[in-house]
Amino acid sequence: MLRTDWWKWLTMAVLLYVFVGGLLLPVPRLPILNETIRVLYFHVPMWFGMIALFTASCIQAIRYLAKEQLTNDIFSVLLAEVGILFGILGMISGMFWANYTWGEPWSSDPKQNMSAIALLIYFAYFVLRGSIKDEQQRAKISAVYNIFAFATLIPLLFILPRLAEDSLHPGNGGNPGFNAYDLDSQMRLVFYPAVIGWALLGFWLATIKIRYELVSEKLGL
Amino acid sequence: MQEVFELVKKDIKTDWRNRYPVFGILLYLSAIIIISYMSFMNFIKPEVWNALFWLIILFTSVNAIAKSFMQEENRTTYLYFVASPVKIIAAKLIYSNLYQFTLILISIVLFSLLLGSPGNLNTWFFVNLFAGSIGLASAFTMVSSLASKTENNATLMAILGFPIVIPILLMATSISKQLILGAPASDITSDLLTLLSVNVIIIALSFILFPFTWKS
Repeated sequence: MLRTDWWKWLTMAVLLYVFVGGLLLPVPRLPILNETIRVLYFHVPMWFGMIALFTASCIQAIRYLAKEQLTNDIFSVLLAEVGILFGILGMISGMFWANYTWGEPWSSDPKQNMSAIALLIYFAYFVLRGSIKDEQQRAKISAVYNIFAFATLIPLLFILPRLAEDSLHPGNGGNPGFNAYDLDSQMRLVFYPAVIGWALLGFWLATIKIRYELVSEKLGL
Repeated sequence: MQEVFELVKKDIKTDWRNRYPVFGILLYLSAIIIISYMSFMNFIKPEVWNALFWLIILFTSVNAIAKSFMQEENRTTYLYFVASPVKIIAAKLIYSNLYQFTLILISIVLFSLLLGSPGNLNTWFFVNLFAGSIGLASAFTMVSSLASKTENNATLMAILGFPIVIPILLMATSISKQLILGAPASDITSDLLTLLSVNVIIIALSFILFPFTWKS
């Protein structure tokens, strides 16, 4: 029997709409951007999804330290794993997009650097987990690192844009070619559902991985 | 408070008795500075001077502070029964900050002796230098307590520490660049406040999180 929650149906419906609408609905004709503006529906939601998943992972780490239940540790790791997947996808899609619009895949833009640092932190988190044998200790040490790293990642969101006045990303610098879509109601119709849909898909992926891990834990695999 | 001072004193005494870690770091520091002198001898610009200096501070500090918890391996059980974790982390933070200040003073003297001074190193430059070094030392102290629980702790110290200190390093480097290029103090006060608040976050988190790593 397929037991499916309502929000999973919602995810499927929203993402179907995002794919069809995102590729077919009209978009504003802007110089340089042209049709590549449609990547917005797939690139930006990856970052929202990543931040949401990392936040959830940090919350689970706090709950682990409060209650010392290994379940919370499993939640925390797997949420971070899916967060990394989203981060990598966001980075790859962004680099493709940047290659066609900004002329080069990596232009030391504050948001690019910030995402690179976020990925570094969470890769380090997995290296840390790999190097501790004892289960309880691994859970505890990595939970502490998770919280510590997340709390230093947040100031970066405020610091990096301040250091570079000339971001290529819209919203923090002179970038006339991009500001148009901020106001385009046509694109909002697809963009907001896309953010919600991709974030839900991330949590869905995480719940599948968590369930698998819990079952194999129980079976002693 | 008395206990905290005793713990700090214990660390200083340990350093005094087996001197090789301290002299090892000093040698490390001089070696990097001499290497950078030889590589950048005649063409160093103020911006490059600044970036190089902060890189040297970063590498010295990660190596110097790595030992703060790793040297305690044999004493962990003893310390566990003698002092509360909050006192231990307070003592360690004070000690690593003192250690870091000394190293930074030595490195700025050596560095400007060999590579020259890039312009006006005024009071604000040193205020920023110390603010940055407090952040680096505190973050690395906490990371050292995590890394000492693992098997290959020297590598992990760098892997875990570097991403965490990036915000501090970015702020400190950019403030110090502006100051070297002659910006007035009013230009950097808001950035300096951000740097200090990042330091506060890191120190507060160390106090909250350290008891959990200590108990395991």
